[in-house]
Amino acid sequence: MLRETIKLDMNEMPYLPPQEIIDAAQKGLSRLNRYSDPQDLERLRELLADYSGVAKESIILSPGSDFLLREVIHTLAKSRKVVMVSPSFFPTVQAAKDFATERLSIRLSPPRFDLNLDLLLNALAEPSLVIIDNPNNPTGSTLLDRQAVETLVDSTDALLVIDEAYYEFSGVTFADMVQNCPDLAITRTMDKAFSLAGARVAYAVAGKAFLDALSSFYALLPQSSLYAAMEALKGPDYVRRNVQRVIEERERVWRTLNELGAHVHQSTTNFLLMRTEIRDAVSKFRGIGILVSDLSNQLPPGFIRVSIGTREENDAFITGYLTIREAYELG
Amino acid sequence: MKKVIGLIVNPVAGMGGSVGLKGTDGPMYEKALELGAKPVAAKRTKDLLSHIERKDEITLLVAPGNMGEKYVRGYDIAFTVIGTAGSETSAEDTKRISDEMANSGVELLIFVGGDGTARDICDAVNSRVPVVAVPAGVKVFSSVFAVSSRRAAEMVDAFVEGSDVSEEEVLDIDEDAFREDRLASRLYGHLLVPAVPRFLQPGKAGSSISRSSVESKKEIAAYVVEEMDAETLYLLGPGTTLRAITDEMALPKTLLGVDAVFGKKLVGKDLNEKGILGLLREYEKRRIIVTPIGGNGFIFGRGSKQFTPEVIEQVGKANIMVVGTRDKVSELDCLRVDSGDLELDEILSGYVKVTVGYKEGMMVEVRC
Repeated sequence: MLRETIKLDMNEMPYLPPQEIIDAAQKGLSRLNRYSDPQDLERLRELLADYSGVAKESIILSPGSDFLLREVIHTLAKSRKVVMVSPSFFPTVQAAKDFATERLSIRLSPPRFDLNLDLLLNALAEPSLVIIDNPNNPTGSTLLDRQAVETLVDSTDALLVIDEAYYEFSGVTFADMVQNCPDLAITRTMDKAFSLAGARVAYAVAGKAFLDALSSFYALLPQSSLYAAMEALKGPDYVRRNVQRVIEERERVWRTLNELGAHVHQSTTNFLLMRTEIRDAVSKFRGIGILVSDLSNQLPPGFIRVSIGTREENDAFITGYLTIREAYELG
Repeated sequence: MKKVIGLIVNPVAGMGGSVGLKGTDGPMYEKALELGAKPVAAKRTKDLLSHIERKDEITLLVAPGNMGEKYVRGYDIAFTVIGTAGSETSAEDTKRISDEMANSGVELLIFVGGDGTARDICDAVNSRVPVVAVPAGVKVFSSVFAVSSRRAAEMVDAFVEGSDVSEEEVLDIDEDAFREDRLASRLYGHLLVPAVPRFLQPGKAGSSISRSSVESKKEIAAYVVEEMDAETLYLLGPGTTLRAITDEMALPKTLLGVDAVFGKKLVGKDLNEKGILGLLREYEKRRIIVTPIGGNGFIFGRGSKQFTPEVIEQVGKANIMVVGTRDKVSELDCLRVDSGDLELDEILSGYVKVTVGYKEGMMVEVRC
């Protein structure tokens, strides 16, 4: 019998959403020959606005936050320098490479991966579009606090996008600042904490500058995704419960791995960044049926990113790590 | 079809270390023996051989006696001896036998030794055959070296599995300065190694010869040349990224040395410190352009001793431009300086903007 692959490479929620959400998605599938109903799109905006504590008019929907961030860069980077951190959410890095005429990234240095705010402020003397994932992917660190964001919006003319894909895990958000900060936008997703990666529902809480620039951006979401998202937002208690489970597991895995002598970075997300001497660790994990993320395109050799799964999956990862490490040390 | 792999050992490499000498070059070997030095290379060679996994897929062409043959029995690896050598070996033996191996069609050459051995291999083999360098010398600063014998074995396996190769640097260490506990070096040449940079010594990544790397260097070069000020003297350090800049201006470049450009014309070639200081007296506006050594990230203190503390101080931190491909910089934990002047190193520490593409910069931390 084939062993089932354990997916710890995409930062997905390991738990299915409640059955009523799956039923809602299936109801959407029964209208597969139809485009989404515009009224449903408006209803989803209302629900997301309530969830985020912001005005409905500030919500922009998108099929995935990578798609939305790409659109932001495509629209705004022609006349602005794009400033990011490195490493960062890779689709954003790629979009900047594709569309931005001028780019500057601020390297987050191992082992702490802190962001030097003064350095960032000094880089914003000219018109800029700043995009920062907070918490950062792949380090898992929360880079910005409220004071830092206030300093950025108060003392520069830069347009600031903060990607809060992991907001439900970090508990840190600046969405409430958007109403008074036209140059600020927050991007979020229901892929992670809502267990809806397969639905691809993302949104921005956007300040006026972004709403104006993206006024022609209109993304239809599949009806099944719309129904699932609306059903999820009716009763997001399951999100809080699952997030808490993931956080507890994250801390347990982090503690266990560090006790075992592994180098694992503290995280405020649903994944951990690990540095290992094991040669070709990603492929060795794949060889035992565990998928983890390869970061060799953004970080020095030896870094891997591991999503938090169920307790059983996490235990399988820890056991697998020990097995691989032992084999490696024995040569 | 088995891969034919050469193995050559410098049997005296590393013997000086345990007895407080800084190398076994020339007469230092005799002194090391007088002081009771024990062979190091033999153990390293045995460690290497015991950790190669793909033994069935290789056949070794080994140097005679204590330059290889003496160590290879008992590891279930097929081997043939090539060349001749007396009981006392020399650099000339290393050069001659490695050349014979290259001419005999080895697909990979493993050598055990230090920087001196690496230079001998560089002289004899150059880029004809990729190498795996097993560190055994007292001086092992060149980035061609694996971090250990075991990692070297893994590199051999990676090569057998079909890994790509990348270009790595061989350093020429100033022997006299080194014996005075000062590290002064310059780039001596390049060798090709299996492209598994994480197994190279602290953390050398090397100068990639992939197409994307070549394109990235061209991008950087186009931007740098476009931004060049006609009234400024540019001192271009060693490396292929800097060569891409001179290529962009259709100028020659001393790959391993410092050249000077003013008004897009070459005004100094393969300059030493004295030559650079002479130019600094002539030109009021001046900039240094350097690229980090792949993997370990040194921008000063390795590979470009011509940029002495006095030169760097005269040019000033604000006039130092760092260039490097995004891939190369991403593989670094940080940039490093080790100019030989601790105060200057402190001044150079902090963040510096590295040009990684056309109108693309990365702020990277410099540590000392």
